[in-house]
Amino acid sequence: MTGTRITIDNVTKRYDRVEVIPGLSAQFEAGEFTVILGPSGCGKSTLLNMLAGLEEVTSGRLLFGAREVQNVPAKDRGCAMVFQNYALYPHMSVADNIGYSLKLAKVRKAERVERIAAVARIAGLEGYLDRRPSQLSGGQRQRVAIARAIVREPGVLLFDEPLSNLDAKLRNDMRIELSNLHKRIGATSVFVTHDQVEAMTLADRILILNEGQIEQFATPGEIYHRPRTTFVAEFIGAPAMNLLKARGEGGNLCLASGTPMTTVAHEGEVLAGVRPERIELSDAGLKAQVLYREDLGSHHILLVQLDSGEQMRLSTSQGGANADSSEVFLHIPPDAVHLFDPETQQRIN
Amino acid sequence: MRQGFYSGGWTYTLLVAPILILIVIFFYIPVGLAFFWSFFLERPFGGGSDFVGFQNYARVLSDPEFWSAMRRTLVFMVLAPGLAIGISLILALAADRGLRLSSAARNIIIWPKAVAGASIGVVFVFIFDPFLGVFAPLNEAFPGVWNPRTDGNDAFATILVAQIWNGIPFNFIILLSGLQAIPDTLTKAAAMDGAGPWRRIRDIQLPLLTPQLFLTFVLEFVGTIVEAFGLIDTMTQGGPGGATTLLIYKIYVDGFKAYDLSGAATQTALLILFVGIMVLLQFRLEKHVKYER
Ligand SMILES: Nc1ncnc2c1ncn2[C@@H]1O[C@H](COP(=O)(O)OP(=O)(O)OP(=O)(O)O)[C@@H](O)[C@H]1O
Ligand SMILES: [Mg+2]
Repeated sequence: MTGTRITIDNVTKRYDRVEVIPGLSAQFEAGEFTVILGPSGCGKSTLLNMLAGLEEVTSGRLLFGAREVQNVPAKDRGCAMVFQNYALYPHMSVADNIGYSLKLAKVRKAERVERIAAVARIAGLEGYLDRRPSQLSGGQRQRVAIARAIVREPGVLLFDEPLSNLDAKLRNDMRIELSNLHKRIGATSVFVTHDQVEAMTLADRILILNEGQIEQFATPGEIYHRPRTTFVAEFIGAPAMNLLKARGEGGNLCLASGTPMTTVAHEGEVLAGVRPERIELSDAGLKAQVLYREDLGSHHILLVQLDSGEQMRLSTSQGGANADSSEVFLHIPPDAVHLFDPETQQRIN
Repeated sequence: MRQGFYSGGWTYTLLVAPILILIVIFFYIPVGLAFFWSFFLERPFGGGSDFVGFQNYARVLSDPEFWSAMRRTLVFMVLAPGLAIGISLILALAADRGLRLSSAARNIIIWPKAVAGASIGVVFVFIFDPFLGVFAPLNEAFPGVWNPRTDGNDAFATILVAQIWNGIPFNFIILLSGLQAIPDTLTKAAAMDGAGPWRRIRDIQLPLLTPQLFLTFVLEFVGTIVEAFGLIDTMTQGGPGGATTLLIYKIYVDGFKAYDLSGAATQTALLILFVGIMVLLQFRLEKHVKYER
């Protein structure tokens, strides 16, 4: 099975008056696992449904390989979809659910049975083929939904928040299974989520969407280490990146109050971003009061206030140094600082 | 199943008592009496009755008029529910697919249900009048083509149309709400699996609509006996030439017009037996109803 390259060429989507996607272009390589990540209502499902053919494209072109598909009905696009609420046919057995697309494609009975058995093995559903969906657990149902999607060996696999109805442990397990499955079948996969852990762990590349526009489309590493905008910087990472008004002066990065924070090569007004996990506690440096302490077991998350009034979050390393003190000193390594233009919110270093 | 919030057994009894009393007074006692009387020959002007065993049954079952009324009843029972549900289903599928009905439209479509069968009959007498009604132009072009007052088939069709008309609003609402309760994503999933609109109706919507279809079928079936009476009585009085005399109407005529009380009781007993058999069949059918969602 080989994946299909997907090209989105200046696609827009409008519902009546509301423009949900104001013009979006991107390319998903054949066999690539792309995760679309963004806040609720940013148009993730809309984009996915347009790829699937469940939602019309207002203008622009969609290409699967070299084929223009924006006017092709869903059933002829050769893609399969996994839905958030599973969407299994409640009146059919697991085997019939999985085999329905094959039946519609007039695949012979013997071959159908064989292929259903094969995907059931991949999805770990042997022994459940005669059951009804209502007799399965949430995780098993989602496996059936995935098996149903891959049985036709589609070139494109679409997922709309498939794991969000599962509990935390199951979600972790399914994530690993999905990742292995993708490597095995090689379909071009597009996966919508608003869970950044899912995005970071599953994706070859993450497309970050905000109000229907691409904020950044890059590998998980790039997105974490070099966020292109303040939106991405704050959206990825938990707790979120600290963003402070600052100013570069003679090699020093100073806070609004004039207190030097760290060294930097930039001159002028900036927004300085520092990830909580990159702030170090030391014996001297920026003095701060601890306002609130969250004990997560493996480490602590502190909300601190600098003498000049700014608040920051930081997470301590394993064990949590200075576990009880109400006054701490912060050290911010120069290479931990992300600089953003205060006007355009774009990255500048 | 015993639940925590009604603990005393008396509460249950008191809650169901009123409806139980009504059912006993207006259903079980009359049914019991009908069976009882069917074994006696009642004197038409009172003054006692004589036990005659199965003589009444022998008389009724050898009467060709009983059998033709029975045949008409059967035809009516197949055609009226079939068409009333079929048409409602088509309307509901169409409404579910696109045009989202405004609540005003939904109200208007259910109004006919608030009108008793008898009133609908009166209206339809005008609508189907050979000289004033909708088919009047047809009669001008081909004189005598349509006349429910003299043509038995026309009269039967008139009753049938009125009965179907009466049934559509309720069926439509029930079926439409059933269709709308089918999750949107199932339709989408089926579309992704390669099913066109017709395939989706056949493989997804109809199977999931079986509870609603079963309900409308049972109610329509009851309607062919209960509501049809009002229509026949106001529109044709069983005529012309008995063409619209269904069994329920024949019982009424025999009992209250011809004073053949024993014959009426016997036919009532037979009708109840017949309906009982149909109900048993319906329960067998219900095993195939899919309540899982
Ligand atoms: N049928 C519709 N008519 C009008 N507006 C719609 C319709 N469907 C979606 N929208 C709007 O389009 C925007 C994007 O919706 P979409 O479902 O794509 O969001 P999403 O990113 O998937 O959000 P979530 O994470 O909550 O699922 C929302 O503002 C929504 O209100
Ligand atoms: Mg969504």
